[in-house]
Amino acid sequence: MRVVPVPLSFDDRALDTLAQDLAPWPPGERLLLDARMAKWASPYAFTSLLTLGQALAEANQEKPRFAVPENEAVRSYWAKTGFFRFAAEFFELHGKVPKKLAELPNDVLLPVTPVRASEDVHEVVGKIQEGASRMLVGELGLEAKAAMGFAMALSEACQNIVEHAGTSGWVAVHAYTFRKRLGRRVVVIAVSDAGIGFRRSLESSEAKKVGERWGDGAALECALLQGISRFRDPGRGQGLAGIKRYLERWQGKVAIRSGTARVSVGPMWGDDEVPRADHLAFFPGSQLQIVIPAQEGAAG
Amino acid sequence: MIQRIRMAQVLRETVSTPYSDLVTRPTGRAVRGRIEQAMVHTEALTMHLDFSEIGLLDFSCADEVVAKLLLVTVANPDCCIVLHGVSEAQFEAIDHVLRGQQLTVTALVHETLKPRLLGWCTPDAAGAFEVLHSSGGVDPATVAGALGWSFDRAMDALDDLVVRRLVRCQDGRYSTVALA
Repeated sequence: MRVVPVPLSFDDRALDTLAQDLAPWPPGERLLLDARMAKWASPYAFTSLLTLGQALAEANQEKPRFAVPENEAVRSYWAKTGFFRFAAEFFELHGKVPKKLAELPNDVLLPVTPVRASEDVHEVVGKIQEGASRMLVGELGLEAKAAMGFAMALSEACQNIVEHAGTSGWVAVHAYTFRKRLGRRVVVIAVSDAGIGFRRSLESSEAKKVGERWGDGAALECALLQGISRFRDPGRGQGLAGIKRYLERWQGKVAIRSGTARVSVGPMWGDDEVPRADHLAFFPGSQLQIVIPAQEGAAG
Repeated sequence: MIQRIRMAQVLRETVSTPYSDLVTRPTGRAVRGRIEQAMVHTEALTMHLDFSEIGLLDFSCADEVVAKLLLVTVANPDCCIVLHGVSEAQFEAIDHVLRGQQLTVTALVHETLKPRLLGWCTPDAAGAFEVLHSSGGVDPATVAGALGWSFDRAMDALDDLVVRRLVRCQDGRYSTVALA
């Protein structure tokens, strides 16, 4: 059994470290994901961990062990986000898992939710609108119309799973303070699936055109920057384009990691951030993150 | 003759969820299918799609319902589509998907009863549309005079609107399609 430490502070960038520790893929031996020392996790972390569990199951790997956080407050928070509810399906959980789930914390706009079919997208979009409006307008200082655009972005992000992944996925939406990189409150949509990834999705139509440069990064650029879809229908590819347009208005950012690459569109909030990162350690499926920051001078 | 279609009612008949949001491609496809069926069984030449009770409209549904309906009905030059009760957010989604495919539709936005063109159109076509809306039925010379254009330029702009089924032409006079 191989022990893979879960990052203490687990956000989108920390997933790169986890992916390095997982290599090679598939692992070929039983894993123990050690989250005992974990202190904080973003919605991206929760959806990615579930994707990892799902991908291991779909690759017929032995069910991994998962050591839950030792800190009671952390454990309780993870339970409230809905993580353990689904983690039990993919991991053999070790440690004290809170059984009774209290109401959602205020900063969790959408707990971890599975996305398997279009009906799930209807549910997600229908449930989130009131909370999104409260958070975006009340705390982040955005205009009222931002809430509708937010729900549209969420809908399109979730639909990518149903339309392209070839398997199910996960979505979660939290608000938190982006201390290290931005120093402001943000709302974050995290969507992750264990599916075929952007490269395989676009390979048959785009690989020849791109030639030697074809790979995960090129595929992500095709989809996110050029709005290319595997469907020939001219109406396709509008979802990601619409998300970008929405984020441009509110100085937000979208980043997609798939396979060994990540492409981001929007402001770069850290010295180490780049629009495109290649040669990352492989992580299964695709992970999308949308970040909407509080407007300058907002109360949040 | 006008047929009015309440999109919220069609949505309720199409999906089982209790929400009034028009989201996801399969939903949009199913809703469009019902509208197409309704069009087969009517003699009306103008279809009014009423979005007033619809909450969210995402890009996928805007494409499946509005853009594809315009494409499906392109073979019938007499069939015009007008959107009613469109909210500002819905307006943006529809406008975005139509521009990408060089399509145009007339819409009445919630707060104002002034018709607006959504999607792609030339500045000349937009200018001519404005004149038509404020003047009722006009000939090309009137549009040319109002905008300081040549007769041919006005004619081209009006014909572009006719091709896009935003305007009707009868006996040399042009008028907007029935909006109410």
